[in-house]
Amino acid sequence: MSGKFAPGKFVDLRFQSPRIGFYICHCGLNIAAKVDVESVRDYVSPLEGIQVSRDYKFMCSEPGQAMIERDIRELNLNRIVVASCSPRLHGKTFMETCRRAGLNPYYFQMCSVREQVSWVTEDPDLATQKAKHLVNAAIQRVQFHHHLETKTSRVHPDVVIIGGGIAGMQAAIDIGNSGHKAYLIEKDTTIGGHMLQFDKTFPTLDCAACIGTPKMVEVGQNSNIELLSFSEVTHVSGFVGNFILDVKRKSRFINESLCTGCGECAKVCPVSIPNPWDVGLASRKAIGRSFPQAIPITFNIEKRDRAPCRLTCPAGINVQGYVQLIGQKKYDQATRLIMEKAPFPGVLGRVCPHPCEAECRRKLVDSPIAIKELKRFAADRANLDPDDIPKILDRKEKIAVIGAGPAGLTAAYFLRLKGYQVTVFERSSVPGGMLKTGIPDYRLPSDVLDREINYILAHGIRLETHRAFGTDITFESLRQEGFGVLFLSAGAHKTLTLGLAGEETTRGVIDAISFLRDVNLGRKTDCGNRVIIVGGGNVAIDAARCAKRTANCEVSIIYRRTRQEMPAYGEEIVGALEEKINIMPLTTPTRIITRDGKIVGLACTKNQLGEMDASGRRRPVNIPDSEFIVECDTLIPAIGQICDLSWAHTMPGLEITEYNRIKTHPDTLQTSLEAVFAGGDMVTGPATVIEAIAQGRKAALGIDTYIDTYIDKAKTDTDRVPIDDNGPGQGEMENYSDIPLNIEVEERVCVQSVDPAQRVLSFTEVEATLTEDAAIKEANRCLNCAICCECMECVTACEAKAIDHLMRDENIQIDAGSIILATGYEPLDPTPMKQFGYGRFANVFSAFEFERLSNATGPTGGQILIRDENNEFTRSPKSVAIVHCVGSRDVNYHEYCSRVCCMYALKYTHLIKEKVGHDTKVYDFYIDMRCFGEGYEEFYKRCQEEGTIFIRGKVAQITDQALTPLEQGKLIAIAEDTLLGELVRVPVDMVVLCSAIQAREDAVDVGRIFGVNQGADGFFLEEHPKLGPLNTATEGVFLCGCCQKPMDIPDTVSQASGAAVKALSLAVKGRVDISPTISYIDPDICVGCKTCIDLCPYSAIEFDDRRQVSVVNEAVCKGCGSCSGFCPSGAAQSRHFTKKQVFAEISGIF
Amino acid sequence: MEPFEPVIIAFVCNWCTYTAADLAGTSRLSYPTNIRLIRVMCTGMVDPQYVIKAFLEGADGVLISGCHPGDCHYINGNYKARRRIKLLKEILPRFGIEQERLRLTWIGASDGIEFAQVMTQLNDQIIEMGPSQTRMNVAI
Repeated sequence: MSGKFAPGKFVDLRFQSPRIGFYICHCGLNIAAKVDVESVRDYVSPLEGIQVSRDYKFMCSEPGQAMIERDIRELNLNRIVVASCSPRLHGKTFMETCRRAGLNPYYFQMCSVREQVSWVTEDPDLATQKAKHLVNAAIQRVQFHHHLETKTSRVHPDVVIIGGGIAGMQAAIDIGNSGHKAYLIEKDTTIGGHMLQFDKTFPTLDCAACIGTPKMVEVGQNSNIELLSFSEVTHVSGFVGNFILDVKRKSRFINESLCTGCGECAKVCPVSIPNPWDVGLASRKAIGRSFPQAIPITFNIEKRDRAPCRLTCPAGINVQGYVQLIGQKKYDQATRLIMEKAPFPGVLGRVCPHPCEAECRRKLVDSPIAIKELKRFAADRANLDPDDIPKILDRKEKIAVIGAGPAGLTAAYFLRLKGYQVTVFERSSVPGGMLKTGIPDYRLPSDVLDREINYILAHGIRLETHRAFGTDITFESLRQEGFGVLFLSAGAHKTLTLGLAGEETTRGVIDAISFLRDVNLGRKTDCGNRVIIVGGGNVAIDAARCAKRTANCEVSIIYRRTRQEMPAYGEEIVGALEEKINIMPLTTPTRIITRDGKIVGLACTKNQLGEMDASGRRRPVNIPDSEFIVECDTLIPAIGQICDLSWAHTMPGLEITEYNRIKTHPDTLQTSLEAVFAGGDMVTGPATVIEAIAQGRKAALGIDTYIDTYIDKAKTDTDRVPIDDNGPGQGEMENYSDIPLNIEVEERVCVQSVDPAQRVLSFTEVEATLTEDAAIKEANRCLNCAICCECMECVTACEAKAIDHLMRDENIQIDAGSIILATGYEPLDPTPMKQFGYGRFANVFSAFEFERLSNATGPTGGQILIRDENNEFTRSPKSVAIVHCVGSRDVNYHEYCSRVCCMYALKYTHLIKEKVGHDTKVYDFYIDMRCFGEGYEEFYKRCQEEGTIFIRGKVAQITDQALTPLEQGKLIAIAEDTLLGELVRVPVDMVVLCSAIQAREDAVDVGRIFGVNQGADGFFLEEHPKLGPLNTATEGVFLCGCCQKPMDIPDTVSQASGAAVKALSLAVKGRVDISPTISYIDPDICVGCKTCIDLCPYSAIEFDDRRQVSVVNEAVCKGCGSCSGFCPSGAAQSRHFTKKQVFAEISGIF
Repeated sequence: MEPFEPVIIAFVCNWCTYTAADLAGTSRLSYPTNIRLIRVMCTGMVDPQYVIKAFLEGADGVLISGCHPGDCHYINGNYKARRRIKLLKEILPRFGIEQERLRLTWIGASDGIEFAQVMTQLNDQIIEMGPSQTRMNVAI
């Protein structure tokens, strides 16, 4: 090329008449063979404006370009048209030619008569015709071209590299060593990539870790490389030289600067998951590391959304956590974990309706985990000694709790833990509420309940019995005693009446709550021999089963709907039936029949189910004339309870709901009176124990916040910690652990219980606690839905205090001048290829699995072993078949060749011979042997000499169906040996599939973020496969490595260095030319409709309020033309693609 | 009577379809010469006036082709093109131009083969429709 060039002078040549030079290229024979170039040249010559029309063999060559330059100078040309190849190829070349000759490069137009004409047309006449049309269009267009100056923009000196495999690391090292800063962003927890998963690399048989780990260390230690591991780029904006990247740094839940990688945490973690680094062949703990040489060395915790059991529990108990701790025999820790949310583990383990079990995902496999039984087991085993409770420092505030039931005691417990001085006032003689007086001993033994209540009180809570609220104590009297806050939790102990005449006065009619209280407190009751209970809830069943335990007792339950609709727990109803209690459904009592003031019978009518009522259940409708009489001497109504609010007049202003319950704020449980909170059955109506406990804790937090914020004013509103921080993973998207495909169905544990005939003889507990073996087996059925169960054992074990379970993802922004994509590949999954039996036969392995078996840090410590009947790696294979081209060179999967498989197959033959033994029979089934690289052919020869048997023929099928005794117990590879022309059946112990290299599944998304397209094969699209393999269509974004196409390690490293140079050339120059072919809005024409502003994908158009016109921000505009394509007034034009220019081209093309 | 040889103008986007056309060229695939390409940077740059101008100048068919939805080099230019073309298709019959003479396709940069196929198919389709009446009435 000529070295001299004249500086571009600004002369507005628009108003000069066009003096056009036209040149048509032969391109050797490429164009000339089909297009009659002389004819085109002659056709152009007489056209208006044409000063010269020439043809030449190779326009892009030096003499060709010199010809143009000479003509420009000598003939004073002001427009150039070249008809040759694609403007995408040499457009810039000829623009440079013009510029060197002193002509503004944008006065040039190129016309493609090769790719668009000569190469795609058979008939020379038609080709020449078409060429003439296209040429004319170009000539007409060029007359309207304008002078345009390229702008320069500065280039940010930093480079961002996406992907920390060998390609990314090499690029980072090259850039770091140049003095520029490189960011290396890797989405996995460690750098290294696939190469570090290999054992040895071909053909030198270097150990991958030996050559890879120094690179990893160099990246970690180079002061110019900032490693952002476990991070992903979410958004990229800007343009070449000025990129802004939004990066999400995912949370490891472990502090990178504190973790030493000692591994003590993993030892105590109860949860195991398959390790993706070992391709699922080995497992790691929920807290763990990919492999021992990982960089960064920091561990990470795998967390998914919180398990459904935990989310369902009304009290938010960490169910998965304590189940896992039980599995580890850590019963004290399990019980403490339960008590973080609910202080009655033994009680709940016996009476809770376990809504968690209904949501347990194990039900998808066999049946839900027996969570309630496990909780009971842990509570019964734990050794929580009240003497071990540390002394709690008192705060000055005094809080009064009314009612020593589960809600009240729970609130008292949590308030006491925060240091408040708490006194619980109980109306009756004993604490426990419904737990004591409602639930019978055969369900909840007194000693269990009392032990747990005492443990709670032992924290320093005062209990005063025989104190009825409203009479013995009032709101006022408590205030005067110094109690600043009141918590009302007196429960719902008043039974609803049946509304029958004589119900209150007839002897033998006992309400269920009073009956149960008497039974539970060991008092004598008026219960006779023929007892009728009316009702279908748990109270009714409890009353019935208690009555049964009175000797010689016949017990019947009358319920107005059907048995299926009885709201009592299913287990309780079954228990009642087993104890020979008679249930009479669809029956309603109508009259009490008395003699001498005592009940002797009950008149009832039958019902049938009618229409749906408000609660969604079908209403029972009386059947007329169906009255019958049942003899009885005791009637126990048990149709529901309500609160006793007779004291409410002593607290004016306290709002009561229409259901006769106390009205509270749903989040804090504060009532309408500021210093009064309420919870439990008094607020919810009769409900379950766990709900009462949940209310108690919620109220405790609400009271604590109230005191801190409003009374102490210690914290402002903004300081307040949220009532219950549910932490990461709210379960919206149900992101849970995968259920393993080969999971075995196991039976749910069986609970031992007393024989029904024996049960009714006493109040001894009916069900037994699980045995230790049964409990641990049951606990191990847990699927660990959330993976990490947050049992916090790791936190206890970590001496560096590096673990933080509340860590969140972090979002940062990076500025960079250029971006290198080195995201690599993924192997094809051979499972869909049923003929190879991958996933069906235990000893068919994919290439990656073989690598991990051979790798010293893998599941077998580097020995090549195969699976036995128990799926353990124990045996050495005596024969191995290696299958080439699994998914490559295959129209059904990938048509391309994966390039490296032939070589790594050879590597495997060598490794097998070396590690397993030279007498191992190795069969290599190939189509072609592609040994193209340095030392590859020699390696092939060597492997041949080692005795591997090469069979030319792709394996059609792997089967275990033996046809001869020799084939018994083996996998048989069936192929056609094309050199022999015969079908062969080769029995082997092990099969290794050389699965294809393919583009990563997320390549589409990654490509979108960076503005890189995918080619037809899924890999990122380079600018030109020969001349621009590292560039992409987006300036400033480069590719290297397998993300561009399959390649081996030497090529990857070369490409990485090449991409680094490309990035550095931008960074070092510091400036980049920005194309001036952007939009311009003529302010004289713009009417200010503002439509273009919304159309612009880069938000590059602003509205100038003063002039009331839209203005293009030239730094941001990319020249897409969305605005100009729409602009109704024609004010918005794309430079170099103006309306006039395109219209001229359209006219000329006809 | 000479067989009807239509004239079809194709506005193709630089990044995808034009590249596919180049690929069709380097792959030496043949397609009819009736189609003449005009390169634009993005299909979003195609003003409806260009289409009407093309028909008035005598085009029997007009094709607009760009990147696949989601892959536009300028993010969403192809979506804007799609909307404009939809509206334009409604209007064309009022000018006496059949809707089917205007086509919108998405051809990606590596779809050389598809490019050649679409061009051939389009040519056949226009031949079947016959010459554009606008051409007969208005063509210079």
